[in-house]
Amino acid sequence: MEYAVETFSLTKIFSDWWGRDKVYAVDDLNLQIQYNEVFGLLGPNGSGKTTALKVLLGLLYPTKGKALCLGGDAANPKISARIGFMPEESYLYRYLNARETLDFYGRLFGLPSKVRKMRIEVLLDMVGLKAVANRPIGTFSKGMARRIALAQALINDPDLLMLDEPTTGLDPIGTRQIKDLILELAKRGKTVLLCSHLLADVEDVCDRIAILYGGKIQSEGKVKELLRQTNKMQITTGHLSDTAIGKIKQIVNSEQADCVITSPMDKLEAFFVRTITTAQQLSLPTSGAVSTTQIGHFLAPQTHPESLLDKLVSTPVSRQGLSKPPTTKQVVRPEPAESKPDERLLGKLTEQTPPAESKPVDKTKPVEPKAPQKEQIKKSILDQLTDRSSTQNDNKQQSDKPQTGDPGNA
Amino acid sequence: MRSIWAVATNTFKQAVRMKIAAVFIILLIVLLPTMAVSMTGDGTLKGKLQTFVSYGFSLTSLLLSLLTIIVSVYSLTSDINQRQIYTVLTKPIRRFQFLFGKLLGIILLDVVLLVLFSTLIYAIIIYIPKFQKAGPAELAQANNEFFTARAGLTPPEVDVTQEVIDTYNRLAETDQLPPDIIENKTSREDYIEALTHNIKLGKRAVAVGHDLAWEFKNIKPLEPGQSLFIRFKYNVSVNPPDLQIISKWFAGDDRQVKYGANVQTPIYTFDRKDLIRTFHEIEVPADAVAEDGYLAVGFFNVPLNDTVVIFPTEDGLEVLYKADTFYANFLRAVLLILFRLIFLACLGILASTFLSFPVAILLSLAIFFIGTISGFCLESFDFLSRNLSSVYSYTVRPIVQLLPQFDKFSPTKFLVSARLLSWSLLAKVVFYLICIKAALLWLAALLIFRYKEIAKVIV
Repeated sequence: MEYAVETFSLTKIFSDWWGRDKVYAVDDLNLQIQYNEVFGLLGPNGSGKTTALKVLLGLLYPTKGKALCLGGDAANPKISARIGFMPEESYLYRYLNARETLDFYGRLFGLPSKVRKMRIEVLLDMVGLKAVANRPIGTFSKGMARRIALAQALINDPDLLMLDEPTTGLDPIGTRQIKDLILELAKRGKTVLLCSHLLADVEDVCDRIAILYGGKIQSEGKVKELLRQTNKMQITTGHLSDTAIGKIKQIVNSEQADCVITSPMDKLEAFFVRTITTAQQLSLPTSGAVSTTQIGHFLAPQTHPESLLDKLVSTPVSRQGLSKPPTTKQVVRPEPAESKPDERLLGKLTEQTPPAESKPVDKTKPVEPKAPQKEQIKKSILDQLTDRSSTQNDNKQQSDKPQTGDPGNA
Repeated sequence: MRSIWAVATNTFKQAVRMKIAAVFIILLIVLLPTMAVSMTGDGTLKGKLQTFVSYGFSLTSLLLSLLTIIVSVYSLTSDINQRQIYTVLTKPIRRFQFLFGKLLGIILLDVVLLVLFSTLIYAIIIYIPKFQKAGPAELAQANNEFFTARAGLTPPEVDVTQEVIDTYNRLAETDQLPPDIIENKTSREDYIEALTHNIKLGKRAVAVGHDLAWEFKNIKPLEPGQSLFIRFKYNVSVNPPDLQIISKWFAGDDRQVKYGANVQTPIYTFDRKDLIRTFHEIEVPADAVAEDGYLAVGFFNVPLNDTVVIFPTEDGLEVLYKADTFYANFLRAVLLILFRLIFLACLGILASTFLSFPVAILLSLAIFFIGTISGFCLESFDFLSRNLSSVYSYTVRPIVQLLPQFDKFSPTKFLVSARLLSWSLLAKVVFYLICIKAALLWLAALLIFRYKEIAKVIV
């Protein structure tokens, strides 16, 4: 079986000047990332995430072991033509303007000028920098440069996208956009490898994660499985009358369980995005980035990734719900934030564990209505667990009209 | 190919927009016209032209060389330091293509700047005579001795090997060898070398009342009717009181005299009085040359002189004739600079594949300056290591030989003396400087860069 990214006991040792082994940056790493998977490589600072990525990309050579991208060596132009890479900081030529920068990278891919021009405009639009496209990158803020770095990684319509700390330096809208984008790309059949220590981002988008510490994988698995608290249940609904609440409590009590019912708090992220969107609709002037929510249409047309993949890959990743139409507006995100074992693990590995409340973020702006994390409602009926894809569909729909689906306010 | 070109144009933009090139451009644009106005040379039109072309060309060549070194080193090291290279090398471009793109960009920059400045210099040179309001005599001199490309023929060297051996044997038989040799203080080779030198000099020395003649073949002037020039310099055994030598010169086809045939082409004679140890030129009408390109030149040491006259071995006597136009020569001189710049670009790129910016600059500059005094360096190495001959000739010498020899093929030298810089000489330079030396540097750069770990050690 072929993987999009595969490493075989990959080891990278940095030696000192005398050739003595100094640091095991990556130690016997065995990664297998399937096609069409969103994979998160987590870990505290210095845990070897970026080193692993650089070895994968051929910027560093492994001390031992082997790394394959899309079934080959990333140094091979045929392979690298299908990879998009966004480094941990925006390493761009300061003297080029945004448009020239994208043009430069487009030409590195050998794209014909017509295609290049079209994609550049689309990408500039997508990352919200069309208005400043003729300003040198050197005058950009960090977040704006970050957006160009993202656009640069997408210009070849990559099959495999490697993002190193994609959301650092971005404002909440940019962060949200990147997360939406990742989900959208995944839906379109791309594989995404994400390095981050911002756990909220990873949790929102990744199918599978591996947590790295000291260059070794400490824990690996599907996000949902790793985080699910099987002893708790959560129900999300629209507004309920007091009688309905009373009934629910009765049902719960009859099961010898306790429950608390409150209105969920809006997420700050959602609130922020809403505020800015309103301002943008009023066309207030800004010299910064203008965010749009469009995705570049050239990025793999939205066919059905499942069926497409079925043809291409013998054993495609199952993305549940992809084929399912977005029937419901209400998404239940299965992962409650307070899972104890999980928190313990995270807390051990990273200082910045976002405890309890963080998780249930929806990637898109408006979405948040449901998923109140404090609310635990035991409901035996919740068999149709959550699936990410329905969230995505939902989000996408809503992102066009951000204001609508906000029951938290309603 | 498209990706190589992308890197090349990006490198070009980098040099221009980071204002590295701007400093040099402004400096040259200001300095060249200033020099044209302020330099006067020896006061004649020719002198002014020579001075301007000498300084203008040297300055342009020097500044562009420095610029090339700086740009080539900066371009690669800054990409590595500021890590733009991460996003470039992860694109479908091979590392050798990336390096080649860099080189191409630098060459592109050099070509653009060279075209700009050589046009400027050429325009100034063409306009100087008009602004100068020079008289017809000065104009003629400038035309004959500056606005031309003259080939120089030196008399063929006489093979004196047999004579040296005979002399040595005779001295040995008659016990007249110097005592140093007999006592082995001086080696036999050294003595023979000295002897050879003496005998050769003897072939070019003319005693009082004697004459000396040289034969030249294959003289092919560019256009019929162009004058030839005999260029000479006297050395003497005893300085004459006024430091002048009185002489009689002949030029023409002397074969017709020898064999008693009718004189077909005129034989010219010149009576002259010239300062010693300086170069002089005698203009000879073109019809002195026989149809088959033969010309004999004779010198008679008039008895009025009281000294032996010696023509120095290297440049004591030459026949010069116009073999090409000034324009073509100028073009080739510019090309010569371009090849030098290409070499330096390869050098700078090689240095920056394994050194940081300041060190790479230092190394490249050191090699550049050694290259400009390569003659001196080679000689001193040869001299200092005479006693270690075999060790030296298999270790240091090949390396020293690999250094560029910018001074040996200085374009200024050719333009100032209006010497023909022939295509064949240019081809020779290309072969040694580009095909061998620059190619070796380039291979080394590719090899180092191929196996270099691009990313910094960050854990």
